[in-house]
Amino acid sequence: MILDLERFRAQARPRWSKLEALLSALESRPDRRLQPAEAEQLQELYAQTAADLNRVTHGALAPELRQYIERLVARAYAELYYSPPTRSKIWQPRRGLRILTEFPEAFRRQYRHFALALLITVLGSALGGFAVRYDPASVDVLLPADYLRNPGQRVDQESKGQNRHLDSAQIEAAFSAQLITHNIQVALLAAALGATFGIGTALLLFENGVLLGAVAVRYTQQGFGLFVTAWLLPHGAFEIPSILIAGQAGFYLARLLLRRPEDRDMRRAMHEWLLLVGGLALMLVWAGLMEAFFSQHHAPVLPYGLKVAVGAGELVLLTTYLLLIGRRGTIAEDHANAPLESK
Amino acid sequence: MSDLQSTRSPTTAELTIATPEGVLFRLPLAGVAPRLYAMLFDAAIVLGTVNGLGWLIYAIFAKAPGFGAMFITLAEFAIGFAYGALMEGYWNGQTIGKRLFHLRVIDQTGLPLRMEQAWVRNLMRVFDALPLAYLVGGVSVLCSPLRQRFGDRVAGTVVVRETPLPGPGEESWTRQKYNSFMNYPAVAMRLRRAATPELASLIQDALRRRNELAPYARREIYRELAAYLQSEVASFPDELVEMLSDEQYLINAVGALFGDQRLSKL
Repeated sequence: MILDLERFRAQARPRWSKLEALLSALESRPDRRLQPAEAEQLQELYAQTAADLNRVTHGALAPELRQYIERLVARAYAELYYSPPTRSKIWQPRRGLRILTEFPEAFRRQYRHFALALLITVLGSALGGFAVRYDPASVDVLLPADYLRNPGQRVDQESKGQNRHLDSAQIEAAFSAQLITHNIQVALLAAALGATFGIGTALLLFENGVLLGAVAVRYTQQGFGLFVTAWLLPHGAFEIPSILIAGQAGFYLARLLLRRPEDRDMRRAMHEWLLLVGGLALMLVWAGLMEAFFSQHHAPVLPYGLKVAVGAGELVLLTTYLLLIGRRGTIAEDHANAPLESK
Repeated sequence: MSDLQSTRSPTTAELTIATPEGVLFRLPLAGVAPRLYAMLFDAAIVLGTVNGLGWLIYAIFAKAPGFGAMFITLAEFAIGFAYGALMEGYWNGQTIGKRLFHLRVIDQTGLPLRMEQAWVRNLMRVFDALPLAYLVGGVSVLCSPLRQRFGDRVAGTVVVRETPLPGPGEESWTRQKYNSFMNYPAVAMRLRRAATPELASLIQDALRRRNELAPYARREIYRELAAYLQSEVASFPDELVEMLSDEQYLINAVGALFGDQRLSKL
């Protein structure tokens, strides 16, 4: 049967206008809750307009009209089935601070992914260390930067104060910002590379581990073990764990994507991923500040013993924070109550 | 259903939503080009904001430019990520660029975007932007049936087109005050009874697309349709038909088929 479009339009236009006005009012104030009468009216208009869509789909070729009704139905559907957060939920200043307790909880829930990230980094470090120790030719490949290849030269420069910025806190401030943004970008990339089913994350962690192992062995070989520990530990105590947590987030994402879509609780999973990424970003802010303002100063200005002690203290505090802060309970209990994806 | 699909361009990707009540509706998905334009526009806004902020910070930290540089670097980084996430999260899936180019990010179930989805899809840009100029993201959009970059796949979102549509008003060619076919109600009634829905829709569609057709094609199509109606469906008197152009003949025919209420009263 041919639909009499003009008559159809004339009859339906009042309800379309009414629905459009109601939707515009609701969309302009997303936190507004519907009154029971409004909800009933919205439901009724939605049902009628959906029926109109059905009629125009099967009764006439009217693409513009069909698109118009389709969009009305889509908007009404979104209003009916979506529960927006209330204003009180959106504007909760304290809510932002909850990341400080939720982050270590998420870390503990996903501890197996952290263990995998740690294992890959350790393997990379072992390879880098063994290569430098037993194959001197590999030094040029693994440590392209001159200051990494020749520790003696670097230590000499540091002791003469050529790289010292104690007289310029401003240069250190600018340097810290560069470090923070660069490190967060690298960590984010490791977390996002989970989308490659974890292969990219694993490669990035492995490469990072190789460099770390090669530098540690090269400096130790030439008798600068204490220097390199004092140099790297104050910021590395936060920087290296944060890269491992980025790997943890990446493997968590990879595991999630490998599941069947119907088995994923995406909302909780995204919250978990964001907690890990947010937490590691905070850690990298601290690491950047330490690297710029503290790590770059060497003996005699800052004794190596003091620097190592500060780094070790940071490591103890971080471990305590990650393992103890937040909801009380053993790792086994956390695991039992974890989101579906971590099981 | 197949008839409906054939009326759309096959290159237009759509998201089809089936509601719990069994209602089916479709949303057109955005391609690479409008998304790229919107992103460039947003990038210009972010750069402008950061530069403006930079002038302000340098003015404040005139005696300590190092601290100024620190604030600018951090602000640029934070604004770069937060702009997209906060705008989309609080502004119903739109940034200024997306609004300008009539795009909106929504959940792939057809519902509005949630804040955590906005953050995830924007943070995932570090991967989509690889190796340069969003190559990974662009290829992902082209290969995905839902036109999703990796950030969208992870966040479960899609970008839909919301080009402005005319209201449900009458179409201009149905608003003629006088339809000469109505002077011959018996013939008009025969036309209305004999025309199949497909034929009626074909004529209606041909008129609706008059501005999309090349002049020669339009003249030929209208001539063939008018001749077919006149010879095979309902023959109006020759003295009337000779006075009408083929296009006016079809407009009158559509008026008789769809719009004119006088025939319904017969």
